[in-house]
Amino acid sequence: MTATLTDPTTRPVPGQGAARRTWHLRANAVVLLYVAAALVALVAHDVLPVPRWLAVHLLLLGAATNAIVTWSEHFAVALLHARAPSRARSAARLVALNVAVLGVLVGFCFELRAVVLASAVLLAGVVLGHLVSLVLLSRHALMSRFARTIHFYLAAGLALLVGVTLGSIMAVTGERGVWYDRLHAAHVHANVLGWVALSVLGTLFTLWPTVLRTRIAEGAMTAARRCLWLCAGGLAVVVGGFLADLPWVTIAGLVVYGVGVAVALQPFVSTARRKHPTDVAAVSMAAGTAWLVVAVALDVVALAGASDLHHYLTGLDALVPVLAVGFVLQVLIGSLTYLVPVLRGGGPAAVRTTIAALAPAWRTRVIALNLGVALSALGSALHLPRLVVMGGWGLIGAAVLGFLALVVLAFVPERARGPVGGLWIGVVMTALPLALALSGQGGAHGPSSVVLTSTDEVQTVQVRLVGMNVEPSVIEVAPGTRLKVVVTNDDAMRHDLAFPDGPSTPLLSRGEHAELDLGTVDAPLAGWCTVPGHRAAGMTIDIRVTGAETPGMDHDGMASMPGMSSTTSDVDVDVHDKPGAGWQPRDARLTPAPAATVHRIRLPIVEKVVEVAPGVRQRIWTFGGMAPGPTLRGNVGDEFEVTLVNEGTTAHGIDFHAGQGAPDEQMRSIEPGQSLVYRFTADHSGAWLYHCSTMPMGLHIANGMFGAVVIDPPGLPAVDREYVLVASELFLGTTDEGADAAKVADDDWDAAVFNGYPDQYVHAPLTARVGERVRWWVVAAGPNDGVDFHIVGTQFDTVFKEGAYLLRPGNAERGASQVLDLEAAQGGFVEQTFAEPGHYALVDHDMRRGESGARGVVEVTR
Amino acid sequence: MLGWWSLVRAVHVFGAIFWVGGELVISAVLLPVVRRRLEPALGSYLLGAVGRRFAVLTVAAFLPLQVITGLALAWHKGVTIESLADPGYGRILAAKLVAFSLVMIAAGGHGWAMADGKPVLARSLAIGSLFGSLVVVVLATALATA
Repeated sequence: MTATLTDPTTRPVPGQGAARRTWHLRANAVVLLYVAAALVALVAHDVLPVPRWLAVHLLLLGAATNAIVTWSEHFAVALLHARAPSRARSAARLVALNVAVLGVLVGFCFELRAVVLASAVLLAGVVLGHLVSLVLLSRHALMSRFARTIHFYLAAGLALLVGVTLGSIMAVTGERGVWYDRLHAAHVHANVLGWVALSVLGTLFTLWPTVLRTRIAEGAMTAARRCLWLCAGGLAVVVGGFLADLPWVTIAGLVVYGVGVAVALQPFVSTARRKHPTDVAAVSMAAGTAWLVVAVALDVVALAGASDLHHYLTGLDALVPVLAVGFVLQVLIGSLTYLVPVLRGGGPAAVRTTIAALAPAWRTRVIALNLGVALSALGSALHLPRLVVMGGWGLIGAAVLGFLALVVLAFVPERARGPVGGLWIGVVMTALPLALALSGQGGAHGPSSVVLTSTDEVQTVQVRLVGMNVEPSVIEVAPGTRLKVVVTNDDAMRHDLAFPDGPSTPLLSRGEHAELDLGTVDAPLAGWCTVPGHRAAGMTIDIRVTGAETPGMDHDGMASMPGMSSTTSDVDVDVHDKPGAGWQPRDARLTPAPAATVHRIRLPIVEKVVEVAPGVRQRIWTFGGMAPGPTLRGNVGDEFEVTLVNEGTTAHGIDFHAGQGAPDEQMRSIEPGQSLVYRFTADHSGAWLYHCSTMPMGLHIANGMFGAVVIDPPGLPAVDREYVLVASELFLGTTDEGADAAKVADDDWDAAVFNGYPDQYVHAPLTARVGERVRWWVVAAGPNDGVDFHIVGTQFDTVFKEGAYLLRPGNAERGASQVLDLEAAQGGFVEQTFAEPGHYALVDHDMRRGESGARGVVEVTR
Repeated sequence: MLGWWSLVRAVHVFGAIFWVGGELVISAVLLPVVRRRLEPALGSYLLGAVGRRFAVLTVAAFLPLQVITGLALAWHKGVTIESLADPGYGRILAAKLVAFSLVMIAAGGHGWAMADGKPVLARSLAIGSLFGSLVVVVLATALATA
């Protein structure tokens, strides 16, 4: 009796003969094909348009959805003693489902929105039909203590309907923004925690004891009822919380959901304690369920720790693929390992043979998969070296490949197994090295110019935006050619391509493309990327007409085009003039380092229009609303955790010279609205520069994105006063655009400044008293020049430059120093005392700079 | 230019010819003839002896020769561990090393499986290592033009 109850898959039910088993095997083949395709997407990620999206959807929408639809019906029939639906209907549903899935996948990859939408509607229809048939089954069936399982399937199906709707809206509107993020988060949760997880949990209540070949635990079905209420209720709150952007509501929902999962775990664990899982099916299912628990816990932590939804989603997107593998794929592998032998049938001996065929190296495979998931998850969450993440995926790929190979081999006749196995090994040994050899070549340069000779019909040219270049950068056409360009952004940074008085693309993220119809070309055209500084960095395209005069890309030519700041050498500024009303000097005093050894700083990137020189207002880009940015101070060994928030209108990043580490992640550019956390340990003392790390850096620094980090040498004596001066050059441009990119590129500066404003401390003198020891921290921000810091009428008795004391008081030579000379990006400090009252000028003793604003006055009194 | 380094490169290529050629000849010439013409017992005795001799030559001569000449050529070319990660030449060379290691593992596995009485697995591994050694050759030709 127990055996009958607990083994729903093998129990004879009406309509379930050998034919039906074969049918289920075929349906499983479809599932395995999707798994294999996801694996291919993983290996070939460099050449696919949206590799991560594709791999996740092949696994969840393809493999998992097929498995759930097929198996939920099968289990419903078995558990409720119901009549199985006709094979024709099941077949029609399977075909419709996969047409819909393939439609979504293909439509999304090729940006065919109508196809995506139609497929999503079909998918929703199939799921709805499936739900209706489940309801009818349970209505017409005898009462069963397992009816609860069907309720899980119904709740899961409803979640999928919500998830598909959200996904369709995202795919069709395609716009990034507040709603996109909310839809995205809700979509992921409805589908993974709803559709997949509820189906899995519901099934496990009966399948878990079956796989362990024991009876169902006491009270399991009561637990199932509680679990369903908590999980479904919690999930509804989560989805609603994301859509309304109420993080704490979402977290509360997630916690309730987690409690629901914990309730389900009770009978699972008590069953496992009675009968230990000892085969690949049971261990995989247990490990997979454990990853669900880990995923929910990580989700709560990530959401509670994220500053905003966008930040959270960046982390979530990195974790979803790996957790989908740990949870969904592993449960799938476990169930299939159990179900395939049972379905294949052929008597007890044959079943045992199939089980044995799927068992080789199972411990190694389970360990490899779980180790891989752990490595990849930790690697992405903690920003470990890329190699760790890649190694994790390698382990996962090997484990999955092994499983697929064993399933295929189990169905291959004995004689052919050697060659078929050889073919598998051969494919792996070919694919793995080739993928490695071909990787990273996406940045290879295409042709720099294209000549079109034909004037027939419409000529279409593919244009790539990559590495601050437009490829091709020259297109030559015969007069009268109707020209279209298809612009694709292959760069990590966002770009656009605009033609004056003509069409322009929107800002394109990596992988996005847009088509521009340039009409009939009779005269030369020039286009460029309008992101600040990118045009000056070389992101231009020339459309030339054969036989016509070629326009030179000189400065005059550029100046006449809109969207580009003119060469403003005609800006007439007297750097020594009085500042305008309301001007505030920058406080040069440096306060001692805080006692804390961990410094947490929020550094918003803000654009503002300010007075940069007398009578000149122009846009500056700032760290923390000021240029130079705030001075950070600490001791050797201190840790800094800087949260950079891009509140500007273009991409930015940051580079702290005071820390060491791979630039790849922490110095990456972030788009407006995004944020990143930059952690560094102050390994060494010094006066360090920090600056924007986004190309073109010269322009970003010239626009104000720099500042100083002061790390005290151990045992630095206290002094009476400390000042910090950051030297830089000023490039005047236009009010709206800020510094002139062409001038920056030519090093054609208009003023040299300390702390951002010419003659700043002439207008607002610094102060000191006779006999006081004053320490001057100086950092040269450039972008191109250094500084020769001198205080008229004094000598420095202490000089600390670039990490070392060059001079200390009381030295044997009785020497002193007159100038602290720093190259661009160097820093240090000097100390001196004033012997008598007076007005001491501090200057950059390179007179070109000193007489162009890099000067100030120290007012010394008794 | 013809010089000492071309000689080192030639020795590296001779090694590859011996090994890949040997595998191809055994699989495509020896194996079918033995299967068709010899008594099964005699056939497996002969193939076993050929396999063992090939294995001994691989471990005693081929492997050390390829590793030493390969390392020397890489040193001559200025290859460093870091440069193996560079797209293009670096990654193709890294891929070639991975493929070569896989081939050696598969070949070793073949010998072990034969000795362990697992002919199906042994056959799979032999076919796999043949595939892999062809990939090594393809990558080597790609290196010449990268």
